[in-house]
Amino acid sequence: MSGSETAAKTVKERAKEALRNDFLRQAVRFTTDRLRNARLQAAGEQGNWEAWRERGRQIRSHTIAHLDYYLNRFAENARANGAHVHFAESAEEAVRIVLAIAERKGARMVAKSKSMVTEELHLNRALENIGVKPVETDLGEYIVQLAGETPSHLIIPSIHKNRRQTADLLSKEAGEELPTDTPALAAFVRRRMREVFLAADIGMTGCNFAIAETGSIVVFENEGNARMVSTLPKTQITLMGMERIIPTWADLEVMATLLPRSATGQRLTVYMSGISGPRRPGDGDGPEELHIVIVDNGRSLQLGDPEFQELLNCIRCGACLNVCPVYRHIGGHAYGGTYTGPIGAVLKPAFRKNVAEWDDVADASSLCGACAEACPVKIPLHDMLVALRRRKVEAGRAKRPEALAMRAYAAVMGSAGRLKGALRLGRMAVKPIARDGFIRARIGPLAGWTRHRVFPAPAAEPFRERWTGLRLELEREPAAMDPAVRRRLEEALRRRQAEKREGGDERHGG
Amino acid sequence: MSGMADEAYREWLAGLDAESRRRQQAFLDALAAKLGRPRVTEPPPHPFRGAPDFWKEYELSPEERIERFIANFRASGGHAFRVSGLAEAARFIADKALELGVPAVIRQDEPVLAGLGLESLLPGVEVRVWNEDPAEDWIARAAGAGMGVVLADFAVAHTASIVTLSARGKGRSVSLLPPALAAVIPAGRLFTRLGEVLSRFDETGREGLPAGVHFISGPSRSADIENDLTIGVHGPGIVYALIVDA
Repeated sequence: MSGSETAAKTVKERAKEALRNDFLRQAVRFTTDRLRNARLQAAGEQGNWEAWRERGRQIRSHTIAHLDYYLNRFAENARANGAHVHFAESAEEAVRIVLAIAERKGARMVAKSKSMVTEELHLNRALENIGVKPVETDLGEYIVQLAGETPSHLIIPSIHKNRRQTADLLSKEAGEELPTDTPALAAFVRRRMREVFLAADIGMTGCNFAIAETGSIVVFENEGNARMVSTLPKTQITLMGMERIIPTWADLEVMATLLPRSATGQRLTVYMSGISGPRRPGDGDGPEELHIVIVDNGRSLQLGDPEFQELLNCIRCGACLNVCPVYRHIGGHAYGGTYTGPIGAVLKPAFRKNVAEWDDVADASSLCGACAEACPVKIPLHDMLVALRRRKVEAGRAKRPEALAMRAYAAVMGSAGRLKGALRLGRMAVKPIARDGFIRARIGPLAGWTRHRVFPAPAAEPFRERWTGLRLELEREPAAMDPAVRRRLEEALRRRQAEKREGGDERHGG
Repeated sequence: MSGMADEAYREWLAGLDAESRRRQQAFLDALAAKLGRPRVTEPPPHPFRGAPDFWKEYELSPEERIERFIANFRASGGHAFRVSGLAEAARFIADKALELGVPAVIRQDEPVLAGLGLESLLPGVEVRVWNEDPAEDWIARAAGAGMGVVLADFAVAHTASIVTLSARGKGRSVSLLPPALAAVIPAGRLFTRLGEVLSRFDETGREGLPAGVHFISGPSRSADIENDLTIGVHGPGIVYALIVDA
């Protein structure tokens, strides 16, 4: 795994690199379009999508608001099922626990199914360091691992790799030239992975949901590799973000309705597996020993924070990536962290205690709100991005020119006289460079804009100066509102007030 | 591991568990502190349990359920058929096994599946029963079989899912390792919604759950190579769902 999270480069530099890669841009656009359209179609087919989203939000918010209760319940029930449960406050602790188990077991190979938490912990590197071979068995994750890279999309990790690159990577592994057609490549991976599943000492999985009332872990997947690693190796280790909890199996129906549809547009992933403890006496397969490592690693910093607690509602579907105009242009690696897209832009800084480490990822957003609209559990991601920017400024970490500009803006806008003077100055200043009402010159503070588009020149007679005349005109003909328009407006206002009354509960985990 | 190493390992594991219990209290206390209140130890009222109310009222007739399951299962790339009885199901499975030229078939240890009489329908094919002899390596047997045959414990029409619960005679490998899978679904076990099956696990409770509950909704698939759909990358690529009229 490349340590891209510590890369010294800025988001801007990484984005520039991505923008030069034509394949990447086309592939990301194509795939995100496909996933987004599939989501919209699936949501439409299911019907009442807003009611499902609202229920999803309610269940997640309720669980997070009582996380200590439900986590305790989960741990006790999982132990009663025969699992070994571990609590890790930090990434280091989680890694220490996993390595200790691997060492005690004398493990040589770990077969892994997809787990973003293990990416977050850089667990593969840690395993390699003690001589244990981690093998990613999800097709996309395997490709990314062979390339020595990190996933660039939550659902399609190898979105940035083309067929030729994939064939080259797999051919090198096969020791022979493989054809580039998908069936041939997939057949090679199937054969190779069968050996891995059967030979691995430890199977490692992530966890989409954990059911408090029965101590069960639930994994969603399409390929079957997560079932393999939780069926064949003698020891299973499951890494779980501490917020993955839901109270009951009944609640799983809501998550199972929201997650696959939002991720890929499927009615359900091909496999949904509920695992309750190790194999039972007499069972012929399943792990003999099951470890569940519950990881905090910065998650608890969001608890009790009214602006960010809902971040823990996230079910990792990737819908926000697929609609984000920024992600669609620069892809996942430009974000420089484990999690990418809008959710990554918030998770990365939010999971870190140290303000000084805040990256500029929160700036990689147009604040258009498409992410929040797509989110199946209604996380207000764009509000969080604004809050992050505000905190950055409050902590005195904004760029100096930006801070100066904002102060100047406040001074000008604070006084009508100053604004009038400034506008007059502005009109005079741009006169020499304005042509036909537009500015094209790439100079001064305008260059950032005019490099890619034209800027409209200020009006010869600004609105503020025309207002006196306009007001007289308005007063002459008293505005009688069209009764139909008035009715519509009043109706809209009533609806909004009613929504406010209903929707306000539990939002910040009451 | 040798006996003594085994003993040492168990001791170490017990130490780890004890440490985990100590850590758990501090971990959960810290969460409660961040939430700005004392630890919650009584079950909190959970007014939003499960699906929205309108959905809980949604129910298809038995005929509609069968039609919906078949349509949705086919849309997911699986093969679904309605058969008039177990005899027809048996003939269907035997025909497919011959067509695929499988060397061996492995089935769950279920009386209904024994009643199919696959052994006599497939004279040249080895038909094995999961875990019938504990001395054998059953994972290897399943990996070597060309087809797995299971009896669905439940099925869901809306998501076109086959549900199998693990047990001594019902290995998870049977529905996972062979390249082809055939599932026999008694029509009476086919429900409309996912929630009807899931809520049963709440009712059964922890003590009643098996180690593995598996929802299978079509053939194994991946789109990780340039969005090109690949079938059967790890799990079975061919899946037959046979709904048997009771």
